[in-house]
Amino acid sequence: MLKVLDHLEEWIIALLMGGATIIIFVAVVHRYATGIPIPGLQDRLLAINMSWAQELCIYMFVWMAKFGAAYGVRTGIHVGVDVFINMLGGRKRAAFVLFGLLAGAFFTCVIAYMGGNFVWEIAHTDQVSPDLEVPAWIPYLAIPLGSSLMCFRFLQVAWTFFRTGELPHHEHGHVEGVEKVTIEDIIPVMVTPDLHPKEVLPKNKSGDKP
Amino acid sequence: MNATIIFVLLFGLMLTGMPVSISLGLTVLSFLFFMTDVPIEAVALKLFTGIEKFEIMAIPFFILAGNFLTHGGVARRMINFATSMVGHWRGGLGLGAVVACALFAAISGSSPATVVAIGSILLPAMVKAGYPKRFGAGVVASSGGLGILIPPSIVMVMYAVSTNSSIGALFMAGVIPGLVLAAMLMGTTYYQAWKGDYPREPRRTWTERLKAFRESVWGLLLIAVVMGGIYTGIFTPTEAAAMSAVYAFFVAVFVYKDMGLKNVRKVLIDSANMSAMLLYIITNAVLFSFLLTNENIPQAIAEWMVTQGLGMIGFLLFVNVLLLLMGNIMEPSSIILITAPILFPIAMKLGIDPVHFGVMITVNMEIGMITPPVGLNLYVASGITKMGITELTVACWPWLFTMLVFLMAVTYWPPLSIWLPKTLGLM
Repeated sequence: MLKVLDHLEEWIIALLMGGATIIIFVAVVHRYATGIPIPGLQDRLLAINMSWAQELCIYMFVWMAKFGAAYGVRTGIHVGVDVFINMLGGRKRAAFVLFGLLAGAFFTCVIAYMGGNFVWEIAHTDQVSPDLEVPAWIPYLAIPLGSSLMCFRFLQVAWTFFRTGELPHHEHGHVEGVEKVTIEDIIPVMVTPDLHPKEVLPKNKSGDKP
Repeated sequence: MNATIIFVLLFGLMLTGMPVSISLGLTVLSFLFFMTDVPIEAVALKLFTGIEKFEIMAIPFFILAGNFLTHGGVARRMINFATSMVGHWRGGLGLGAVVACALFAAISGSSPATVVAIGSILLPAMVKAGYPKRFGAGVVASSGGLGILIPPSIVMVMYAVSTNSSIGALFMAGVIPGLVLAAMLMGTTYYQAWKGDYPREPRRTWTERLKAFRESVWGLLLIAVVMGGIYTGIFTPTEAAAMSAVYAFFVAVFVYKDMGLKNVRKVLIDSANMSAMLLYIITNAVLFSFLLTNENIPQAIAEWMVTQGLGMIGFLLFVNVLLLLMGNIMEPSSIILITAPILFPIAMKLGIDPVHFGVMITVNMEIGMITPPVGLNLYVASGITKMGITELTVACWPWLFTMLVFLMAVTYWPPLSIWLPKTLGLM
């Protein structure tokens, strides 16, 4: 069950990220393509209205941000000023970490509740979004849904920390794929042994022998 | 009074180590709840509308573009090109590192990413070539800072968003200071290498240089897409960011073929993770600046500062010291989002140019990234070299000093930053 939720979360944010990029790309290409006078094609392109692209992109990114923030709790990317509590060490540090996580859960819970109320109220009006003209409550649904998920993630991380003392940690220095590049890929081009004192020594020796 | 309560609350919450975004949000929530009768429902709306700006969306796009390029072999080709040009001077690989960082900075908007991309390839090579580890780590960790000064820059977008400045003008304003700083860092590197008698590389022929250039040209072209696109008005900054993300994807997967299609999902998730974190801080910072404006705090501080007779020179010095101190314990995005709404009105009142002010703040952030205990570049470099943070800080010292000198120049000589955007008619 939790595995399904994890995967769903990952797929949602990946698709929103990729989708928004493609939409803006298409919108820009479309804008310039309509300026090229090719008979027939130009009229057909002009008939397509892409003015909603920006709005859709914003909504997709807001959704991505809300669900991504929940995913971020799981990966430990939300950083705080932890230098001082790290100095404390031991049980005191653990207490502060737990307090921080529960405060996170509390904040997101309040926001989820308020967002829910807000969406409920707006759903009873005729408000629509400016360009897409979808009912306004649909995009705003991101707040209660995302915040609830985030709240759940905070509780989940807090529980794991309470039980095992382990905290997810995001490694800024780690970038996928970089490790594949070996030093040998670049060394033979850049380093010619003759020019380095360390390498020169053995050469001199061998030169002395004969 | 209210200002004191707000800041004590904020710093109290931040010191417990909870995420900066959460401490911002909780400060706003509890202050509104206990101290005012502003309807608290307004907060929920702000959480959505706070990031409902198309300009902000440049951030996820630039992060995505950067991630595609760090995965691909763009960095390796840029290093090859850089060392082919400057490698024959004393400390060649060190000089090459500065140039490669500057080149990579022009296609990536983040400093830690620049350190990772250049450092993880070049540092092992430098150690193997007989350079002291300290020297290499110092060069790369400090030159990585160019990532946020040379456009595109995520930190600049943050500043532009929170002060309503022009992203295009800021980007252009970063070009000359970026080149000057790169030159100064190269000077320091050369001096260190000359003093320590470090090795140099063989001189390359122009044919070899041309070959290295041709190989790296696909990455370099991205500079043209972003800067050219924004300058000529073909794209808005956000569109330019989206185009560069698509371009970077194309280059990494189809041109250099360093990345398979199956890795795309991972890149998308990683980028979304990073962007969501930044967007979440932005939303909560928007809430916070809404609270500050609601309580008239920036204006009050501005009045107070002016009546104290603090002139432009004194104010800029104060800002530099404040930002450098904050840079020690916080990461750049949070610092900018918290301080910009307060400092910006004061700067305007003293007649400081918004773009100049933005570049100055960016340079401060750059320095903050190589000062302990919280310096992202140091962490990243420590991850690559397995050196301790203290040792790395010492290793960075010569370059840190150079950057401080440079900061003074940027602070008190505005034409350095605003001449180019003015000449190009962007401001």
